[in-house]
Amino acid sequence: MVVEKTKTVLVIGGGMSGITAAVETAEVGYNVILIEKEATLGGRVSQLNKYFPKLCPPNCGLEINFRRIKSNPRIRIYTLTEVEKVSGSEGDFDVAIKVNPRYVNENCTACKACEEACTTERPNDFNFGMDKTKAAYLPQDFAFPMRYVIDRDYCSEEDCGKCIEACKYGAIDIHMKPQAISLKVGAIIWATGWNPYDAARLDALGFGKYKNVITNMMMERLAAPNGPTNGKILRPSDGKEVSNVAFVQCAGSRDENHLAYCSYVCCLASIKQSSYVREQYPDAISTIYYIDIRTPGRYERLYLKAKQDEKIRFIKGKVADIEEDAATGDLTVAAEDVATGKKIYEEADLVVLAAGMVPSTQQWKIPTDVSYDTDGFIVFTPRGMHAVGCAAKPADVYSSVQGSTASSLKAIQSLVRR
Amino acid sequence: MAERIEPDLNFVKNIISSGGGSLKKCFQCATCSVVCKLSPDGKPFPRKEMIHAQWGLKNRLMGDPDIWLCHQCSDCTAYCPRGAKPGEVIGAIRNQFIQNYSAFGFLGKMVSSPSYLIILLVIPVLILLGVLFHLGNLDFTAIPRGEEGVIVFYYFMPHIYVIVIYVALVMFAFFSFVVGVVRYWKELLKNRKEVESPPSGSIVGSIVGAVKEILLHKRFKKCGVERGRKISHLLTFYGFIGLAIGTAWATVKKYGFGMMPPFPLSDPMQWLTNASSVALFVGLGMIIFNRLKDKSKAGIGSYFDWFFIVILAVTGVTGMAAQVFRLADMGVSAYTSYFLHLVFIFYLFAYAPFSKFAHMVYRTAAMVFESHTLRKIPLAAQADK
Repeated sequence: MVVEKTKTVLVIGGGMSGITAAVETAEVGYNVILIEKEATLGGRVSQLNKYFPKLCPPNCGLEINFRRIKSNPRIRIYTLTEVEKVSGSEGDFDVAIKVNPRYVNENCTACKACEEACTTERPNDFNFGMDKTKAAYLPQDFAFPMRYVIDRDYCSEEDCGKCIEACKYGAIDIHMKPQAISLKVGAIIWATGWNPYDAARLDALGFGKYKNVITNMMMERLAAPNGPTNGKILRPSDGKEVSNVAFVQCAGSRDENHLAYCSYVCCLASIKQSSYVREQYPDAISTIYYIDIRTPGRYERLYLKAKQDEKIRFIKGKVADIEEDAATGDLTVAAEDVATGKKIYEEADLVVLAAGMVPSTQQWKIPTDVSYDTDGFIVFTPRGMHAVGCAAKPADVYSSVQGSTASSLKAIQSLVRR
Repeated sequence: MAERIEPDLNFVKNIISSGGGSLKKCFQCATCSVVCKLSPDGKPFPRKEMIHAQWGLKNRLMGDPDIWLCHQCSDCTAYCPRGAKPGEVIGAIRNQFIQNYSAFGFLGKMVSSPSYLIILLVIPVLILLGVLFHLGNLDFTAIPRGEEGVIVFYYFMPHIYVIVIYVALVMFAFFSFVVGVVRYWKELLKNRKEVESPPSGSIVGSIVGAVKEILLHKRFKKCGVERGRKISHLLTFYGFIGLAIGTAWATVKKYGFGMMPPFPLSDPMQWLTNASSVALFVGLGMIIFNRLKDKSKAGIGSYFDWFFIVILAVTGVTGMAAQVFRLADMGVSAYTSYFLHLVFIFYLFAYAPFSKFAHMVYRTAAMVFESHTLRKIPLAAQADK
């Protein structure tokens, strides 16, 4: 007797890897359930200004994928949703998920009336706290689904009255409760992604203490047109235009005391970001302090191009001390220039730490029997499950997308295997 | 200018086997040179020492002032992203240095290897037993007593024997040190690079400056991870000096003024020596405690290091025990402690140029060179001078 198998694949994580796996699977004709913890799809990629090597804005890639999702009835999406329990085996998994309340229902048209009526603010985590949003907010300009969220940590029932009143569509329901749902799926793709390393733990580099020491992801937000400065790279302490930016490579990565591995993308990210500086301020100097420049494969071209630019300097020597001039907010970075064998103390008005990639599973463990390597990346999954993108290893967008497409085939095999 | 590189592979192996086992982990990121607060701006350390050691460039390291200017604060080791422990590696290089420079350097190999420990201890035991045999004092229960029947070590081992043996040892050590320092100094001058000015001014001034800095322990203050270093080393240092002065003074009293020991506890010199013993014990206790406490951050240290700490401690303990047993009128215990005390003092003196004791001399030499060549002053400031 042939056991009836479910024809559904569950994808956990709505970043670039998860979206790709979902779309590729659905377009072959299988059902997909895509779960995202945040209020919108897009993940880390949606926070970028541009991605390398082509230096095009990520919205173009995301937009195409969002359209593929919209036009495909086989994909069901749950945002603000977490996985609570997984049981069963290949072809027949039972998964319990929890949908957290958004306090805004499907009637929302993103008309902005609630936001305008709202009087309380919350730090904007999409911009790493560099600005604020109202407690009734759209997660980002390209939110998908295009629907508002209400952050109940920052607004009382009384405040909420104003936005309920302002909403013409009856979209706000502040009494929404978390909802438990059971799913039956045949295969699971874990695309849980990554978080930037907590740069405050690098005690010699002054992040969190000096305002003008930021992380590379913050730099993406500063340079992005939908960021806190509308795309103008201005330093946080006084909003001054920058003329001298220091990029500190391996901020956490390749360090046994922090992340023992190379995060793969940071050298390229800093080279890319030096081009943001170059574009906005033709006279500004970018200095990249490194242990080794790692631009694998074809990415080497990006490095060679940057090396020809006289405004981009490369210094071999890891920055191990940063001091601030409290009066001006200017910084002095200290390194040993290995080429000359002398210590150097160089001024910078903005320091960008190339903070490494930490798998999300470092903090949150998948509620099933997967094994992790010593760094927290998923190394082995039970039959019928697959780990993709930065859940499996530090990776760039390009290879994450390739891996996700491959995992899609593997997941389909789990559905049809007899 | 092309330079012919001649790697000395044995040198690398020796560093690795004597406490520098993490040497090859270094990937030259230079974090260490920046976090080290003792490292000068021109030609900082210990990044360059790490690559010189990896490549077996023994000659460069042998003419390098920085391996002694390092005080092993271990900030480099704590911040090293690779666990390459530069502090420990430089300690192992210093060990190789001592074997290379002190006259009779083979003793250095013996002092830094546990397999020779017994032989090295047997030598003083045999010599001192020979003296006791000659005196007919091998039976510890039958040693003549002094007035009122008190224990007098003089009757056990008359000072003249002690003096003859130990003065000979001190001269031997001194000779070995002089040879070592002269060799080192020549190599320092040969290796001098543009960051050091040609030696200028009075060497005496440089020596006085270096000694002053040592007495005040100024550099230890800059240590980050091993903050306790300054106070523990200071206590050990002054404890040791106090005890040395006390011992010398007792000898002068006996032979200069004909006063017969033992001296009463009320004698100010006894206060000094007892206070110094306490300082030594507390200092060494702190050193041992801190080393064990911080071993994951700063490294556990080599046999060579521990050996010196233990010998110093045992010398202090046996000396203190001899005094206590003497006052308690416990003859056999008192004589045994005193005998062991003499064994370990022999050890300290005879092997001084080959054990970590030598750091006192070679570090001073490096500091004199540093001040004599304006090494520690940044290049820009040197030009202004």
